[in-house]
Amino acid sequence: MTKNNVKIGLEVHVQLKTETKLFCGCPTNAAEPNTAVCPTCLGHPGSKPVLNTRALEFATKLALALGCTITPHVTFSRKTYFYPDLAKNYQITQHETPLGTNGQLVLTEARATADAAHKTALPEERLVRITRVHMEEDPGSLIHEQNNCLIDYNRSGIPLCEIVTEPDMRSPAEAEEFMEKLASILSYLGIFDLNTCVVKADVNVSIAEKNYQRVEIKNITGFKEIYRALLFEIERQKQEEVRKETRGWSAERGVTYHMRLKESEEDYGYITEPDLPSFTISETWVKSVQATLPELAENRAKRWSTEWNVDSGDAKIIAQNLDVATLFDDIAKHGCDPILSARWIRREVLRILNDKKIGLTQTEFDSHHLAELFKLLSTKKITDRIGQNIIALLAEKKFSPAAYVDEQNLGVVADESALKKACEEAIANNAKAVDDYKKGNEKTLMFLVGQVMKATGGKAAPNVVKELLASLLK
Amino acid sequence: MIQQFITDAKRGNIDLVEHASKALESAHAINKEYRYIAAWADPVARAEQLQQLAKTGNARGKLFGVIISVKDNLCVQGVESTASSAILKGYKPLYNATAVQRCLDEGAIILGKTVQDEFGFGGFSINTGTGIEKPLNPLDKKRTCGGSSGGAAGLTKKAPFPHLALAESTGGSIANPASFCGAVGLTPTFGRVSRYGLIDYANSLDKIGSMALTVEDAALLLDAISGPDPHDSTSANAPTDPLTDIPRAIHGLRIGIPQDSFPETMDNTTRRVLMLALQQLEQNGARRLDIKLPISTKYGLAAYYTLAMSEASTNLAKYCGIRYGASEALSGNYNDYFSRVRDNHLGEEAKRRVLLGTFARMAGYRDAFYTKAAQARTKIIQEYQAVFKDVDVIVTPTMPLVAPTFDELKNLTPLQHYQMDVLTVPPNLAGLPHITIPIGEAHGMPVGLMITAPHFHEHKMIQVAKSYDKK
Repeated sequence: MTKNNVKIGLEVHVQLKTETKLFCGCPTNAAEPNTAVCPTCLGHPGSKPVLNTRALEFATKLALALGCTITPHVTFSRKTYFYPDLAKNYQITQHETPLGTNGQLVLTEARATADAAHKTALPEERLVRITRVHMEEDPGSLIHEQNNCLIDYNRSGIPLCEIVTEPDMRSPAEAEEFMEKLASILSYLGIFDLNTCVVKADVNVSIAEKNYQRVEIKNITGFKEIYRALLFEIERQKQEEVRKETRGWSAERGVTYHMRLKESEEDYGYITEPDLPSFTISETWVKSVQATLPELAENRAKRWSTEWNVDSGDAKIIAQNLDVATLFDDIAKHGCDPILSARWIRREVLRILNDKKIGLTQTEFDSHHLAELFKLLSTKKITDRIGQNIIALLAEKKFSPAAYVDEQNLGVVADESALKKACEEAIANNAKAVDDYKKGNEKTLMFLVGQVMKATGGKAAPNVVKELLASLLK
Repeated sequence: MIQQFITDAKRGNIDLVEHASKALESAHAINKEYRYIAAWADPVARAEQLQQLAKTGNARGKLFGVIISVKDNLCVQGVESTASSAILKGYKPLYNATAVQRCLDEGAIILGKTVQDEFGFGGFSINTGTGIEKPLNPLDKKRTCGGSSGGAAGLTKKAPFPHLALAESTGGSIANPASFCGAVGLTPTFGRVSRYGLIDYANSLDKIGSMALTVEDAALLLDAISGPDPHDSTSANAPTDPLTDIPRAIHGLRIGIPQDSFPETMDNTTRRVLMLALQQLEQNGARRLDIKLPISTKYGLAAYYTLAMSEASTNLAKYCGIRYGASEALSGNYNDYFSRVRDNHLGEEAKRRVLLGTFARMAGYRDAFYTKAAQARTKIIQEYQAVFKDVDVIVTPTMPLVAPTFDELKNLTPLQHYQMDVLTVPPNLAGLPHITIPIGEAHGMPVGLMITAPHFHEHKMIQVAKSYDKK
């Protein structure tokens, strides 16, 4: 058995994508400071919280997707601490009975990443135990100016879901994979908006060399920062004395820094929130929520590779994003070759989304027209090059690729007589390449193929061109 | 009595504007002497609106034209509402408490906000916030009105015009002052009236109720404000039964008298008045049964104060001088700032309760105090439920004494103050409805009898109270 020499646990806070706040009717998407506020989220005297059942449903979805047991009685507590962004100077959270307990998330990848030093030879599957999933309200936000600190209460009361894991991760790469899997689950459930909602995490990390003395790093914002902070902190712990402490993470400087020593647990003076009753959750309701859960990424990817022989790498990447996964499922249902479609979606559709940093819904892509395009490709009616050009256009506007190919005369040219002239020109104009090829450098042949492709506007069938060139150069 | 006034007002037989102006004038005169009102609404403007409705035949509502006062801890839109605390000085709520809104919907006229112990922290209305004068007993100015709804009780007794008071009880704050001032005080089951807009003392204990000179009038007001409210998740879902026009016959009704409900410290005159009242109920046809409530008697006060202070200490955390109420010049860090605001603007008893309440919920003490008290409350509720299998209502004195003088109060320790609530606390802790009615006098001061009913059985205690009430 491999020695486990790093232990990492996560407390992840995600904002739930509800239309209104957790305990009042204020919208969650206001732009101007202090415009989405009311007596309740401003902590005015006499105001009372009323639970947003949509938030409860979203949190239950997440807890169920993480395999948690759902408590039959939902209760809330007051966590008291004085901070200027906290309207009531206490936060309504779930302390005694969290919504979900005893879940798990399975890690599947052994990653060769930059943190090679921490890489462990992993068995195929690693279990990260989920201690608890609970709901709580977000505080407002502080805006620091030169001599002032302003408070914006728009965020006050936005629903958060906190996911607490056991210290079961053994490398920053595993923590990264955990976060990616979690993000995929969140987007699949439709309860989190990667573009507008914020992920924050507190991480705890300890190493064997320092007797697993636990250090906590508070309030890291964003997925990539969690990975960076862990990488730094493990190196630091190896080199320095490790104390029981809470540290912060400076993304600008790329270092963790001391905040306070943790002699004992903070005392938040928890009491039961007396303004909210204990809500009884029926098994029937839990089952009805369970029934709405979509097939999650991992299962989808498995199904595609086992049933349709899709490349497992392509399947995993396409499955990460629910919209793209649904697009692929639909295209495959149109009778397209799934292996080819998966490859094209991964290489072209996802590339366009990444380049433009947009989501699928912000493009004009639809399964109907993409399926038509992929059929042209699989039947070799057009070349890959032409396919790439058309897919870029399909991102911008809806049209029939088949009609477009006819109109623009973009069909593949595979007739040797039609291509012969272009090949001869390429040979005549590239004496050096020809020379190199004849000296035995096979690769220069592809350069010449490229010249022919360019001359034919990408319509030439590359394999025909290649054979023709080879025979002309014999 | 008030019912007749409402009928006349609806028919247009009363000039409401003139009525409101006169009432306002006499309330000001009373206030100069007795200090019952902390902030004034605009009753004349409201009366003008209602007068228009009456003229056009649109007079509607259970409280049409009735002048009500509102305890200072209930939010009234645009009228300074401070729960008689200096830390909320200048705070004008943006909305009406549900109970207040329902009164307005039923055609009531708001006179103003009645003085109380700061946030409800006291039983004698002597813990009013810094700069707020203490109300005086309407029957003897050297004596307390009781508390915390002291202003409400004093005004109810003293007002020369038809008047109803919205009051609030956490551990006895309706029964106590009503008893000391000779008024009827009606505290409903926890959850019967929405707490939305009530400036919290202890949320799991706070109950909004009514005061009046007669049982029927107190029931009328409670009736108007009862019922579910989506803004308060702890308000009871069930629709509530009407509380007016309940028959007064009590023949065969079983009345439980708890052992130890006449404290040893009670003087003989007061005791005799109460005994006569019990005899009267028996003559009216009630069957008297001796009962025991040992857990409530032994642990009620301790459990109540522990829970109430724990919750209060979190409720008061929001008063930090940032968004509303009292503030100070900005200097130092946040901790310095809010500590200074709270130090300068919270009264001594408020500070005591914040400290004790914070202690009772600290890690390491929580299990021994806060959690234990919550368990004791459950046991006490169960004890009552068992007793209510044998009796319909429970009858006790309301207070162990008549209204004390301010001089007498000076010598009491905080603990002795808390012990005055020994009879009112158990039903409050258990969330049980109870009513106090004046049943006579001792030493020239009113004596109150308290009738407690099972949860949501307000009609039973009203029935018993009416059998006594001759009005």
